[in-house]
Amino acid sequence: MTTYIVRRIGEGVIILIALSFVVFGSVHLTGDPARFLLPISAEHDESVYEAQKAAYGLDKPFIVQYWNFLIKAVRLDFGQSFTARRPVQEILLERIPATVHLAIAGTILAIGIGVPLGIISAVKRDTVLDRVCKIFAVFGMAAPQFWVAIMLIIVFAGYWGWLPAFGRGDMTGWFPSWSQIPNMLAHLVLPAFVLALAIIAAIMRLARSAMLEVLDSDYVKFAQVKGMSDRVVIWKHAARNALIPVITFGGISLAGLLNGSVVVEVVFAWPGVGLMLLEGVLSNNFPQVEGAIMVSGAAYILTALVVDILYGYADPRVRMN
Amino acid sequence: MAAETPALVLEERAPVSLAQRVKDARLPWVPITILLIIVFCAAFANLVAPHDPRANDVRNKLQPPFASSEHVLGTDRLGKDMLSRLIFGARTMLQVTAPSIIVAILAGTIVGLVSGYSGRWADSVLMRITDAVLGFPSILVALLIVTYLGTGVWNVMIAIAATQWARFARMIRGEVLAIRDRDFVVLAQIYGVSPGMIVYRHLFPNVINTLMVLTSVSVGQVILLEASLSFLGLGLAPGDPAWGILVAEGREFLTQAWWIALFPGLVITVVVMAFNFFGDWLRDYLDPRLRRAG
Repeated sequence: MTTYIVRRIGEGVIILIALSFVVFGSVHLTGDPARFLLPISAEHDESVYEAQKAAYGLDKPFIVQYWNFLIKAVRLDFGQSFTARRPVQEILLERIPATVHLAIAGTILAIGIGVPLGIISAVKRDTVLDRVCKIFAVFGMAAPQFWVAIMLIIVFAGYWGWLPAFGRGDMTGWFPSWSQIPNMLAHLVLPAFVLALAIIAAIMRLARSAMLEVLDSDYVKFAQVKGMSDRVVIWKHAARNALIPVITFGGISLAGLLNGSVVVEVVFAWPGVGLMLLEGVLSNNFPQVEGAIMVSGAAYILTALVVDILYGYADPRVRMN
Repeated sequence: MAAETPALVLEERAPVSLAQRVKDARLPWVPITILLIIVFCAAFANLVAPHDPRANDVRNKLQPPFASSEHVLGTDRLGKDMLSRLIFGARTMLQVTAPSIIVAILAGTIVGLVSGYSGRWADSVLMRITDAVLGFPSILVALLIVTYLGTGVWNVMIAIAATQWARFARMIRGEVLAIRDRDFVVLAQIYGVSPGMIVYRHLFPNVINTLMVLTSVSVGQVILLEASLSFLGLGLAPGDPAWGILVAEGREFLTQAWWIALFPGLVITVVVMAFNFFGDWLRDYLDPRLRRAG
């Protein structure tokens, strides 16, 4: 087990270094950052250019610059945002809680909706209910997130006016006060649901097939023969065993959600890392893009790592490979 | 002795007619019809569309759908005909996704074949890179690429190809590993056939089925990725007839003109569904072993 964990952490570190190298390297490939940062008035003044280069450490060898970049990246120091005119670090610290909240809410919704639907469609196999669930799953995988988001806004925020359409309300930071909770939840419902939609379909399929397998096993049949009620058999005996792989999958998709949220954050004007990333992309704001991508990438690698290690504990076959 | 020979003769099968074979294949007619309509619209957009998709008609702006026979699906804020823009959107969609997926397939297949057949260090290096690309959500990789190359159709196509090749490489490599020690490959090696020729003549024909299945399953994902990138404003310019852009324009008229966002999104959903169903069918038809992998 220890070798497995060590090897898996090693892989994670290598991918992270590769990512940082690509992010850092692409700035150098696409142009000279020192010239890019030059004020227009000094465009042809070579002495200003040289001074600028020295000030940003850009006159040093590539490897030294890369090393400096890495050291700073660990502290989330990516320099000044060109547009916001303040440190990227500050923006990141504001935005990370919003994205994490959204991802957690999305995972909870995905499991909370996907698992019961999967169990129901397994138990009521080949009935109308099963078919409706299947159609829902097919739709969830095919519909573009941005479109579903807009349709939900039109119906729930525009037409009925039940839920807020944009933003996070008056929430900032990690922890809401008691009075902020209802407002926070209202703002979370629509974006979290859209984020969850594609995963609901996958979780449902997984739960359905796992459940069908378990329902066919001897101990479930024995429990039925003993005369226990259907409800106890299904929810206590069968579901508990069927759900282990499903929960693991939920963990993996949490990692995906942390990043899949770019589109959702944009449509709902959700002040998270994904929105920050797109703002950076559209305004050529390199420090901001670097910061957002490095943070999302690291979060993704870390979550996948934790899930893999837990999975290794649960299933010996994984760590043997 | 002569009496025993008939036992060795295999029972001769009646030749199966084409019509019968089509019937046996249980073709998914609904998805196929939808896809044919889309291809037809893309090919003959200028004949099918009732209006020029870029022509403004300000007197008829923001017309609701099904209200007039002139603009069946309504108009946008400048009076552009929605139906025509949707039809031309099919052409745009094919123009962007088809080349990028072809490049992805070519690159992925070459990497997969080389990696699977050569083994050793080339295999480990190529697969590390593949895993790194696969390890990240495609939209992140695409955004990174568009940041440094700039927005525009070409760069979106590069971004799509750059994120999709890895799946093909992984799958093809797995197939090659499974067949490279089979007798016909080993015999060819003993016979002195060059590695390039072995890959081309003996390995490649055996992975074509996998390739076709993976392609048809991936197309839906690629369409969604392209639509998302257009929606985010990274691809074509606003005003161009692309489905993702149409939804983005509809976003500005949520309460006044719901139809601008509704129809393009619906079309994307239906097309992706059709591709997914077709891909599932093709997988079951060509290779039942793959059924579990999806």
